[in-house]
Amino acid sequence: MRLLRQALLLLRSELRQELRDFELLLTAGFFTVVLLAMFYLSFASLQAKAHLHALPGLMWLTVAFVGVLTLTRVFDREREADTLRALLAAPIDRLAIYLAKAAMALSVLMVCCAVLVPGLWLIFPAAQAFADQPGQTALLALLGCGGYVAIGTLFAAGLATGAGKNTLLFIILYPLTTPVLMYALVTTRALIDRDPGLPGHLMQMFVLDVILFAAACLLFETVLIGAPVRPHRRPPLRPSVHRDMSREPSR
Amino acid sequence: MTTPTSSTGLRIARVLPDLCLLAAMPLLVYSVHRVFMSTPIEQSMGTAFKIFFFHVPMGWLCMLMALISGIAAAVQLRRRSSGAAAVALAAAEIGFVTGLGVLLTGPIWGNATWGKPWTGDARQVSTALLWLVIVAYLLLRHYGPRSSDRLAAALAIFGAVNVPLIYYAVTLWKTLHPSTTVVASLPKEMWMTFWPGLGGLLLVSLGLLGLRIRQLRLADELDAAWVQLEDPPR
Repeated sequence: MRLLRQALLLLRSELRQELRDFELLLTAGFFTVVLLAMFYLSFASLQAKAHLHALPGLMWLTVAFVGVLTLTRVFDREREADTLRALLAAPIDRLAIYLAKAAMALSVLMVCCAVLVPGLWLIFPAAQAFADQPGQTALLALLGCGGYVAIGTLFAAGLATGAGKNTLLFIILYPLTTPVLMYALVTTRALIDRDPGLPGHLMQMFVLDVILFAAACLLFETVLIGAPVRPHRRPPLRPSVHRDMSREPSR
Repeated sequence: MTTPTSSTGLRIARVLPDLCLLAAMPLLVYSVHRVFMSTPIEQSMGTAFKIFFFHVPMGWLCMLMALISGIAAAVQLRRRSSGAAAVALAAAEIGFVTGLGVLLTGPIWGNATWGKPWTGDARQVSTALLWLVIVAYLLLRHYGPRSSDRLAAALAIFGAVNVPLIYYAVTLWKTLHPSTTVVASLPKEMWMTFWPGLGGLLLVSLGLLGLRIRQLRLADELDAAWVQLEDPPR
């Protein structure tokens, strides 16, 4: 309960900051619209049958691109004000930071999906299935974005603690999130085809999300600040130039 | 002061990579000779089947190296061990090379057997993904900020998690790829060719792994000595 309360407190602070200037929502939303316009210019002239095959890819590529932008920006704020260090030093559970940041990134991505899915439906008539099954579409978007955010937040936080090189997030995130996006692609295809096996696909995505969130929660603190320093059981036999200084007992 | 046992152990550990490489040489020569001179041509796939004797061992080695890298990375995170970090990096580098071998030989074999080099088969895709994760890990270790070692370790752990997925991909998704039991069902003459090749490549990989770990440890020691020289303890 304490963890949840701390996470909600941090999320409220994030939201308050966002509501001051709408920076994340405006940039991510605008980027979604730009991508939709590019998809329209590139694919609108294709036959409707081709749209059916292209739609899942267009949807999840947009999420992948907008997701990186969002995750980078979520942690850039902390980096610019050097507040991530302060957050880590604060007397709160570090996992609360992960949960708050992940919830913030997920909220922004869901808002973008609320622009993206109707946009795809407007541009490509083949996306009628999205309008016919709004509940399943929303669940699909939530589960797909959830898995993406679970891994993304961990690595974006890890890179934010270092100096510079934020561009590495693109290199790390795409290979790692491809399994999530592949599952999402298959499920979107099932939704468009009105496949009766859709609930099974959604359940698989849910299980994958739970595994990814659990793994990210386990690794978050260790990745950000390292494992707790344990004192040596016995002193080293001889001084060595190559001893690991980080394992020395704190004085 | 070190005990005689530990000093003997250290000496053995020091020569082990060289011994592995020495032992691999005759095995590899024997294996290549058997592949091209003694193993009969497979009836349905023809000469292209000979790629199998290089492709499968490299695939297994790539998965093994990803596992070693992931486990070493977990130890590195848990114990802040620079030794484990060196093992993780060295294993990832060998995994990169063997993974590249798999991704190059696979399409050649696929083109001869299926008529297409790439079919989007689950095992092809998951192997390519594993290789991409290894590349991302290496890029992060080489070009990341100073604190990115821990982040790279997390990446290696996720890569290791991918390994069972690749192994069971042919069972889970019913793909075109031969099943995981194909090696056990090989006829005796092919079986006799496969294992020496696998043994030779395994020894080469382990030898290179040992050498690279030693090199990385020496580089660490050099760095530490340099720091101590610049900033001597008071």
